Amino acid sequence: MPKQMRQQTDAQLRESRLVFYKHDIQTIDSTLRDFLSRSKSKAALLVDKDGHLITQEGSTEKTDTDTIAALVAGCFAATREMARILGEDEFSALFHQGRKDNLQLSLVGTRTILGVLFDDTTTIGMVRLYAAETARKLSSTFRKIIARADADPTGGSSDIGAGFSEAAANTLENVFGE
Amino acid sequence: MVQINFANKEIQCKVVYYGPGMSGKTTNLEVVHQKAPQTAKGDLTSIATEGDRTLFFDFMPLDLGNIAGIKTKFQLYTVPGQVYYNSTRKLVLQGVDGIVFVADSQGDKIEECIEAIENLKTNLTEYGRDLETIPFVIQYNKRDLPGALPIEELQARLNPTGAPYFEAVAATGEGVFPTLKALASLVLESINRDKGDVPGSSARTGVSGPTRPAAAAAGPRRVAAAGPRRVAPKPVAAQAPAGRGPARATQKRPAGRQSAAAAVEAPSQPRARPAKRAEPMRRPAAKTGKVKIKERADKGRLMLVLAVAAVIIGAVGFVVLKFL
Ligand SMILES: Nc1nc2c(ncn2[C@@H]2O[C@H](COP(=O)(O)OP(=O)(O)O)[C@@H](O)[C@H]2O)c(=O)[nH]1
Ligand SMILES: [Mg+2]
Repeated sequence: MPKQMRQQTDAQLRESRLVFYKHDIQTIDSTLRDFLSRSKSKAALLVDKDGHLITQEGSTEKTDTDTIAALVAGCFAATREMARILGEDEFSALFHQGRKDNLQLSLVGTRTILGVLFDDTTTIGMVRLYAAETARKLSSTFRKIIARADADPTGGSSDIGAGFSEAAANTLENVFGE
Repeated sequence: MVQINFANKEIQCKVVYYGPGMSGKTTNLEVVHQKAPQTAKGDLTSIATEGDRTLFFDFMPLDLGNIAGIKTKFQLYTVPGQVYYNSTRKLVLQGVDGIVFVADSQGDKIEECIEAIENLKTNLTEYGRDLETIPFVIQYNKRDLPGALPIEELQARLNPTGAPYFEAVAATGEGVFPTLKALASLVLESINRDKGDVPGSSARTGVSGPTRPAAAAAGPRRVAAAGPRRVAPKPVAAQAPAGRGPARATQKRPAGRQSAAAAVEAPSQPRARPAKRAEPMRRPAAKTGKVKIKERADKGRLMLVLAVAAVIIGAVGFVVLKFL
């Protein structure tokens, strides 16, 4: 029995619906801003393992961040699979070196990834150091969000306005109707 | 899982086109990319081999705009169909919210289709998910070909649970939108599903609109979309498995494809049946992690997986850096 319960918790950690409220994002964003100024990085993206962008800070205006989010998640997923085959628990960080800009990806908690873009105004060592600290802060924020999701069996859907279904049907008709 | 973000009133849903190799998954996405309203679509990104086969996934964001005050975004993915790419295929399924199974209607492809559905079920089980509880539609593609089996036969062999199905000729665009429309509708219903008509249920929606700094995702981020973008993985082709084509991307799809997809659509009559699933959809019970991984790492396979993974990592890194 206890084993089954634990299994359920693991699955929930991985599979419960993530619902973010205003104060969650405010907390996360301020953690990210703090990280950017201390590590002297250019931009930070927080992506969930399914490839959804959660939030971003820093200079990302011109960037297609939805696509970046999908690629970051895919990249991390591939790395995790290699780790599994090689018998590692997980490679917790990934580093892409460019000529000018570099990208560091690191795991935050069990299901989110922090992507950091930085150039030579800082160093990989600095970025790693502060990223690790930031990951700890963020995972505690996420634990709270997930705990709340588990306490609310509707998964936040009760917060979606009553007219949603009808409006959705209309929108789909507009976009895909032929 | 659907991500709901009340800070900027946004939901994000992940849709995966699944099916055997060459059934028309990538073609579906290309058609959606071509025909969706400018304001809705983002770029189509493909991580593909030189032979134009999907290596990791194709990806396209689709922004449905405001639905009852909530920005609704879909992320469309395809998987590589070839049997030996199962490890990457499985990765794309993580957190999926809805699945389109693209079947090749031809008689000599039916076994591959059956195998692909079985593979889909197995992969979902490894994530503790169940096809019966996930929004799911089937598309019978390539209806134009003489070898296409009658729908009744395809239904009997591929769709025992009676999921909604559509006939399509993805190459001309026919049936592509109806398929996606039906699936999107199921996905959006599933978000709302658990919700009883609790009085004041929308109270918390009142937590105000976008509150994020200007750089954040407040407005529509994308205006115009460029043509489909094919991504060239870094030339680590030497490591690519022999006989499967070096892993380098091409610039173009075979001639005629794009224009074919743009062709005017005959009004298709997709014969959708309402899903007659016995039970209301429900969160999957936890049954994770117990299933044995089929692909035992014998040495050759390991090398193959590593080579493919190396190519993918290189490609993705390359793209990401190019983007930023
Ligand atoms: N005749 C015919 N060919 C199709 C149709 N849909 C796709 N194709 C072709 O089938 C081949 C494989 O399509 P693709 O989308 O790359 O398959 P994928 O492996 O599932 O992504 C391409 O040459 C397409 O042009 C169709 O409805 N009819
Ligand atoms: Mg493909």
